[in-house]
Amino acid sequence: MADGAHGEAARWGIEYQQRVGAFFDAEDFAPIRVVHVSTDRETMGDTGVAFIRELVDMAPEQRRPRAFAVADFRGFDEETFKFLLPGRDLAAQSEEAVAALAQLGVSTSHAYVNDHSVTAPAFGEACGYSGTPSVIYMNGLVGARCNFEAGPSSLAAFFTGRVPRYGFHLDDSRRATHAYRLDFNPNNVAEWGAVGAIIGRKLNSYWSVPALEIPDKSAAVLSLNHMALNLASYGSIAMFHVIGVTPEARDWTDAFGGPAPTPEVLTQADVDEFLDSWGGTGEKLDVVALSTPQLTITELVEIAALLDGNRVHSDTALLVYAPREIKAAAERIGVAQQIEAAGGRMVHGHDFFATFAKEIRESHNWDRLMTHSVKVANICAGYGYRPRPASIEQCVKSAIAGKVLP
Amino acid sequence: MTEEKNGLVLRGHVGIGPGVRGVALSAADDFSARYDLDRDRGVVSRPQHKLYGENYIGKILVLNAAKGGVASAWMLRDMVLAGKAPLALLLNNANPVMAQGAAFADLPFIDRFETDITQAIRTGDVVYVDPTNGCVRIEQKV
Repeated sequence: MADGAHGEAARWGIEYQQRVGAFFDAEDFAPIRVVHVSTDRETMGDTGVAFIRELVDMAPEQRRPRAFAVADFRGFDEETFKFLLPGRDLAAQSEEAVAALAQLGVSTSHAYVNDHSVTAPAFGEACGYSGTPSVIYMNGLVGARCNFEAGPSSLAAFFTGRVPRYGFHLDDSRRATHAYRLDFNPNNVAEWGAVGAIIGRKLNSYWSVPALEIPDKSAAVLSLNHMALNLASYGSIAMFHVIGVTPEARDWTDAFGGPAPTPEVLTQADVDEFLDSWGGTGEKLDVVALSTPQLTITELVEIAALLDGNRVHSDTALLVYAPREIKAAAERIGVAQQIEAAGGRMVHGHDFFATFAKEIRESHNWDRLMTHSVKVANICAGYGYRPRPASIEQCVKSAIAGKVLP
Repeated sequence: MTEEKNGLVLRGHVGIGPGVRGVALSAADDFSARYDLDRDRGVVSRPQHKLYGENYIGKILVLNAAKGGVASAWMLRDMVLAGKAPLALLLNNANPVMAQGAAFADLPFIDRFETDITQAIRTGDVVYVDPTNGCVRIEQKV
């Protein structure tokens, strides 16, 4: 492959993977079947799109795929973006990149955290996933094996059919390094996200693996997903265990591969302190962004019910993000219409933080942001917003009031 | 750390990219291209960051750990091609995204030093970064 016998794209890919593999002392490669390519238009930049065009311009025999790949590029909601970023033709830019990916043989999905919509790898299977929420989901909840394989890295895997075997492809790296116990049941996904953020901040290392004991082992997958994606967002963590829930943690000994340390206890007060630390109570509210992950149909139903008989305040924008397929499902049962009739905006095909959130803020002179996603709060603080994470209920009621409610 | 003829040498893991010499911008804080930077202006934009407001273009950026998601891998190359990137990146602890981004951008990058790199190198120090040999030489202290 390195000598170009398998095509120029594979030669580039394997050379690139060897450089990364050497950096992490990988001894060999793990074959993979499934690749997830992270290709947000904002993230890729014009240079990223140009790079994909260069690959497309190769003769087909020079860029033959060796894995199945799905990209969560998703495109832009043209109608909503006329409001969010007037004067910019983001739909055309989106189409250019989607077309180039399609020419490579990469299928595009409209979901963001595509672990809910794309067939998952099996337990123990090596894969080349890109988005950090997807990677930690695959490692922790599915038991597949994956490192963060960022956009160019997963493209390399697409052409080589393998990834460097280091990190979470190895048994030893997957074992727990730190123990925690929740002594309460989080009330909503924002509180689950806060649990992930608190542990992520404490550990702050890709190589740390938290194991967590929770009182209610029937916690919803979406709740665990919010916790996991915030472990990744706040701590760059890619693997976790929940005792008696996730597949490599039947008990503490299983998770640690031996005796476990005494767990550190996290309380409701810890979570309250984290959420309150963002401040803003009583302040004018400019925008509510309910995204990351994009919403499920049950969350859309909850939002419609909260808006019933009410109207979003004229000084506040309520943005409700859902995959295109979920938005269509919500339209079929009248929920999308209820949200929009109350002044909310349904947005499909992309996610708030990943689609020029800084430019949107500047365009509308927005300042105070509320979101149910603790990850959105983390990222948008760097984009000049003053975020406040809270439950969906608190976010929607605040949107109606036009100010941040306690 | 060893004192050599041309300065103090700090050893890390073998890195990525070519050797470069430049002025350090250092803090005991973490790094993500998406979470922390205004990439258009080339400044650290997260108010809570210890380098908030600092211009990092052309500097040897010295920080603690890589954080956040996959965005940095695309972004580092975009920053390099736009001429709005640090000259090199030194971290105590990398994650795969930062290594993948550095390899994609051919941005000099080393991690896993024998000592806390954010304490050993101070803002304003002149350093030579040698990824091939996994070491950094402090040629001039502030």
